Amino acid sequence: MTAVIETKSLSKWYGNVLGLSDVSLEIESGITGLLGPNGAGKSTFMKLVTGQMKPNIGRVTVAGQDVWNNFRLFSRIGFCPEQDAFYEDVTGWEFLTGLLRLAGYSGAEAAKRAARALEIVELTQDKDRKIRSYSRGMRQRVKFAQAVAHDPDIIILDEPLSGLDPLGKRRLIRLVKDFQSEGKTIIVSSHVLPEIEAMTSRIVMIHQGKILAQGDIHSIRDLIESYPHMISLKCGDARAVAARFVHDASILKMSFGPDGRSLVVETYKRDAFFSRLQAVVLEDGIEVEELTSPDDNLQAVFDYLVVK
Amino acid sequence: MKPNTNPGPATLWMSFRRVFSMFFFLGRKTGKSRVFLLLGLIPVATAVMARIFMTGRAEDVVAVFNEILIVFYVTFDIVILSLFYGTSIVAEETEGRTLSYLTTRPLAKTGIFLGKYAAYVTLMFLMVSASLFFSFFIMNGHRFRDPALYLTFLRYAGALGLGIIAYTALFAFLGTFLKRAILVGLLFGFGWENVVQYFPGSTQRLSLVHYMKSLMPRRAAGGPLSILLFRLEPSTPAVAVLMLIVIAAVFLALACWLFRTKEYLYEE
Repeated sequence: MTAVIETKSLSKWYGNVLGLSDVSLEIESGITGLLGPNGAGKSTFMKLVTGQMKPNIGRVTVAGQDVWNNFRLFSRIGFCPEQDAFYEDVTGWEFLTGLLRLAGYSGAEAAKRAARALEIVELTQDKDRKIRSYSRGMRQRVKFAQAVAHDPDIIILDEPLSGLDPLGKRRLIRLVKDFQSEGKTIIVSSHVLPEIEAMTSRIVMIHQGKILAQGDIHSIRDLIESYPHMISLKCGDARAVAARFVHDASILKMSFGPDGRSLVVETYKRDAFFSRLQAVVLEDGIEVEELTSPDDNLQAVFDYLVVK
Repeated sequence: MKPNTNPGPATLWMSFRRVFSMFFFLGRKTGKSRVFLLLGLIPVATAVMARIFMTGRAEDVVAVFNEILIVFYVTFDIVILSLFYGTSIVAEETEGRTLSYLTTRPLAKTGIFLGKYAAYVTLMFLMVSASLFFSFFIMNGHRFRDPALYLTFLRYAGALGLGIIAYTALFAFLGTFLKRAILVGLLFGFGWENVVQYFPGSTQRLSLVHYMKSLMPRRAAGGPLSILLFRLEPSTPAVAVLMLIVIAAVFLALACWLFRTKEYLYEE
């Protein structure tokens, strides 16, 4: 398979601050996940790929062409920016049709495509409301809609799941996968591993402007499994839940919050813990109020890779 | 990969037209436009008051228009409008972080800049000319049958239109590379432009307002308010028009070049 997006020794800095350093990548069609903590250089990479920035060193090509100031390429690219920014005084409908008209569609075609895009992000009913009145999740969805409404071959999504509720995340993940099955090239960034994992097994790990690892998610996952995960749980009787796990060899450490309702578990086997927890909750009729992974242990992996 | 069915990249003219349409629409919806529309009511209200309180003093009414209202338009209204719209062409996109919606479309960057500039200039001209129309004809209601009146109106409107084109180009240029362009614009528009027009000799030719005033119909000097125009040593209309067009073209060319080559980073 040939690379749709290719970067060679790509470097970018902002004054004295390094944004990206010596990044060489070949991205083929399908979904590629860009994983890294905030400030790692994911957005810089995406801005370079979408021609919003010029590399200081190196080259970025899309479909074999340099992208900087090459607006001819942009009919093939859809970009969903990270920032929560809109023309606030317009409705969702006006926003989408306006951007489609900018892409060169006639009024009728723009209307048809905007209607379709709003339908797939389930905003048809709210299309005539001003964007300033949209919830965070709706804003995120309309931002996604503008990136795909013109049916681009290449879709660049910068933190598209941020601000969405779990159901919204699931729907958007399904949509991204649908686009993949149409043969499109998709780059999606996130700082949350399970989000990326839900979309693709092909990932690029980026940290402090450098590519730390790339390839199959399983190798990254194995690496992560070698570090303990922290899982936080809030329920009526945290000690009762803890009692059910005390003989579990994969549990490294458990600690309780002062209110007696919160429990923090450290485990090597996150997935196994979640499966067991699900069973315990159902068997004992425990009401779980909150379940979070405050540390998905990415930082530990990044630290490990940096040292390595 | 399935064949791409979208319309493809635009020429400069197509980019210009698409962006013009979008921002002529968006520009009308902003709170800024509503505020400036209200500003345009000030001279209209003044004209109504003058007509009510100066009944039977036609000459004085005309003088109020020539020496107060037109000064309001020339030295305040179009300067403030051009300043806010001109600097906002790029600044509102970077401050609002919406620039990527434009620069990731198949549009020539020069077309984006010029399209937005033209949309805002048209919007400003419509606001100013509507206000001018009402204030002028309210003040000159007693001369409706005089054909010269309509020519005078067109001359005022033309001069203000050219002023908007030139001022907006200058302020748009400032907005492409300065973060606080509005402050520099305020100093220029209400400092330099106001002061230098009262200097004798050729110094006043270093201001835009000089060329606009040179295009205005002039009355004989005299009257208590003539001090506002007292030192004008006008250029010929041809030179004034040419200068305003050249100034606009130069600043637009520079602004387009900057917009095409500069990277705009959003402030964190």
